[in-house]
Amino acid sequence: MPPLVRRIALVALTLALLAGLQYGAQAALNPYFVRILAVCAVNIMLAVSLNLVNGTTGQFSIGHAGFMAVGAYAGALTSHALDPRLAPHGALGEAAGLVLAGVAAVLASGVAGVLVGVPSLRLRGDYLAIVTLGFGEIIRISIESIPFLGGSQGYPLGAESIPAYAGLGWLWGGSVLAAVVVWNLTYSSHGRALAAIREDEIAAEAVGIDTTKYKVLAFAISAMVTGLAGCLYAHDATGGQHLEPGAFRLDRSVDMLVMIIFGGLGSITGAILGGLFVTISLELLRGAREYRLVVYPMLLILMMLLRPKGLLGTREFSLGLLRSVLPRRRGAAS
Amino acid sequence: MTALALDNVEMVFGGLRAVGGVSLEVPSRSIFGLIGPNGAGKTTVFNCVTGVYTPTGGRITFEGERIDGLPAFKVAARGIARTFQNIRLFGQMSVLENVLVAAHRARKTGLWDALLRTRRYHDDERSMRARALELLAIFKLDDQEGARASSLPYGDQRRLEIARALMLAPRMLLLDEPAAGMNSSEASVLKGQLHELRDRFKLTIVLVEHNMQVVMNVCELVHVMDRGETIAHGTPEAVQRDPKVLEAYLGAGGTRAPEPAPDTTEPGEVLLSVKGLAVRYGGIQAVRGLDLEVRRGELVALIGANGAGKTSTLKAIARVLPWAAGDVTFEGRSLARTPAHELVSLGVALSPEGRAIFPNLTVEENLELGAYTVRDPSARRRAMEEVIALFPRLGERRAQLGGTLSGGEQQMLAIARALMSRPRLLLLDEPSLGIAPVLVDQIFEAIARIRAQGTTILLVEQNTRRALAAAQRAYVIVTGEIALSGTARELAEDPRVQGAYLGH
Repeated sequence: MPPLVRRIALVALTLALLAGLQYGAQAALNPYFVRILAVCAVNIMLAVSLNLVNGTTGQFSIGHAGFMAVGAYAGALTSHALDPRLAPHGALGEAAGLVLAGVAAVLASGVAGVLVGVPSLRLRGDYLAIVTLGFGEIIRISIESIPFLGGSQGYPLGAESIPAYAGLGWLWGGSVLAAVVVWNLTYSSHGRALAAIREDEIAAEAVGIDTTKYKVLAFAISAMVTGLAGCLYAHDATGGQHLEPGAFRLDRSVDMLVMIIFGGLGSITGAILGGLFVTISLELLRGAREYRLVVYPMLLILMMLLRPKGLLGTREFSLGLLRSVLPRRRGAAS
Repeated sequence: MTALALDNVEMVFGGLRAVGGVSLEVPSRSIFGLIGPNGAGKTTVFNCVTGVYTPTGGRITFEGERIDGLPAFKVAARGIARTFQNIRLFGQMSVLENVLVAAHRARKTGLWDALLRTRRYHDDERSMRARALELLAIFKLDDQEGARASSLPYGDQRRLEIARALMLAPRMLLLDEPAAGMNSSEASVLKGQLHELRDRFKLTIVLVEHNMQVVMNVCELVHVMDRGETIAHGTPEAVQRDPKVLEAYLGAGGTRAPEPAPDTTEPGEVLLSVKGLAVRYGGIQAVRGLDLEVRRGELVALIGANGAGKTSTLKAIARVLPWAAGDVTFEGRSLARTPAHELVSLGVALSPEGRAIFPNLTVEENLELGAYTVRDPSARRRAMEEVIALFPRLGERRAQLGGTLSGGEQQMLAIARALMSRPRLLLLDEPSLGIAPVLVDQIFEAIARIRAQGTTILLVEQNTRRALAAAQRAYVIVTGEIALSGTARELAEDPRVQGAYLGH
């Protein structure tokens, strides 16, 4: 198949699958599973975007919940304002509203990423971690103290609620988009420049890479993807339409960190697996009630003992990798 | 025409004048040597030129334009590429990726092409790969394109750094000790390559180098520095005869060949015994069934080509690397179940390759950490006095941070730190790596004294002549196995030793 045809076929197939999720799975599945699938999609986006900064570029951010909050509120404000005009147009209006909200979220969080990145990315390691931590908390506390955004009570409910635009198809569409963007960036000349910064900044400069610029680039793109995740989270049609600053506490950033460390820092497929693992294991442990707080950390400690570099290390998941790990069947060659 | 000109360049760190007013002119398309003893300020000059440091005084011009104060990536964009004294590769990335990173500036497609994977992007990527493989082929690294850079042997890492620098398509190449860690045959290949590279890529080459054979054969002009100042300048022949250079660079005694150590002491019982030792890195077998023995009071040298498995053997004995097979006994006791840190209290200490001192601790703190296992404070004090008597230079620099010492001083510190635990066996890895001859003399004198004071030594060394002059016995290692062994005197005269080096 010529490359263009193959590419069109791939896009069409993806869209068909997403449409199936949106209209088929959501109706057919038990609402509880639908909810879990929705949370998985958001967490995959978060993990993939954080991995770009913490895994590939080797910077350490623990403030990404702040970018998620910026994206969520920017998206919600946009769709809220547009909803009265778009609502009469049915599904098409909803799609337009969500896309516009997404654009607003990406732009706002991208700007936030640059604003935080430019002054702070000259810092290294733990200092950068403290600055990003501070940023995340400042965003959350600012939102809490702005009555217009609903303060700590959350974004206005009832008649003024955020429109529930994003079904499963949109949510998973977002995570596919996030994964493709981050993948194509990571495995390109730009991505090599980012990895070079992680490996040795002085050598990266010596081969002509403007390290500050590329750190800011990675930070901004990561913030945009996180903002998109926040936007979809805010419009998630499978959950209650409620947006409150409490969802963007430090715990959220820590969860994101756990996902990428679990999957293997620097591995995109690892981040996806990490996102799935954290979401699903937290759900499965719901039955354990308060013991969840004991079992979950134990699980993480066990994981770090058995696979200190995460599930995949820096490698990507592939069939070849699977084949090399699984025991070979005898006589398979014949 | 002048490619690079330094006019009264000065670099002061705190109170330390690392470079005090150096002026020089590098003619276009020449091969220019910058030499001088350790701590002369050569690497600092490189760092000033390439934008790692902003000089505190003077001007630097490249092809007529000022470049001092420009950030490093802009200097690279102007056409100046470099390598580093302490190899700085992108360790976790593949050999090919390391070279490709340097093509980033010359790429023809932007971020959108990458994100959308356009045809232009694929064409661009393909042509970058082809060029990178071509450069790797020059250094015979093209068959290892997929290997992790950090897994390459030392000499290959040096060559990969040069290939990466060339990928920038520079007009000037600054090489910081390109021959360090290479044996004489590798160094002579490099000598030939430098001329080839200059002609093929139309380069001006400046090199900092301690291997005088390389400098004198390759360079057309040589600039000699000592303690931050220029002491001589001219053709290699003229510089070589300059009395100031001889005094500063080679020490007051001039070029004397070290006498073989007299074989006076009777070797004692077996202290260290290695049997069938094997070490694997992933699929690569670095050491395959190696046997050796060190008797009490001996100095035994382990010599061999780059990548032969010398350092791997030493690291395995020190329990820093896991064994794939075999056994090592120390004083009759197997080390199979002894973790690395316990080895120190058993009486074995390692002075590692590349020194691995603690850069942000003072000399004194570095030394105290070496005595971590010594509980008795008065014993610690005595150990400190002894090592400072051995290396008076460290006493002068007690309060200085380890990272600010010159390469030779760092090596002294690494040996002294190992001695602080008062080991009965000292494992010494490449003590002369990247060090000026005058300091190599001092270090080997110290090694002789350490042995005279009763410490047994297993020495891994690139510099065969030195190693055989200092040792009583030696083993020659070839591709992970012992190929030859005997007394140092026999091996020094054995033509097969050169054979093992040349890879026959």
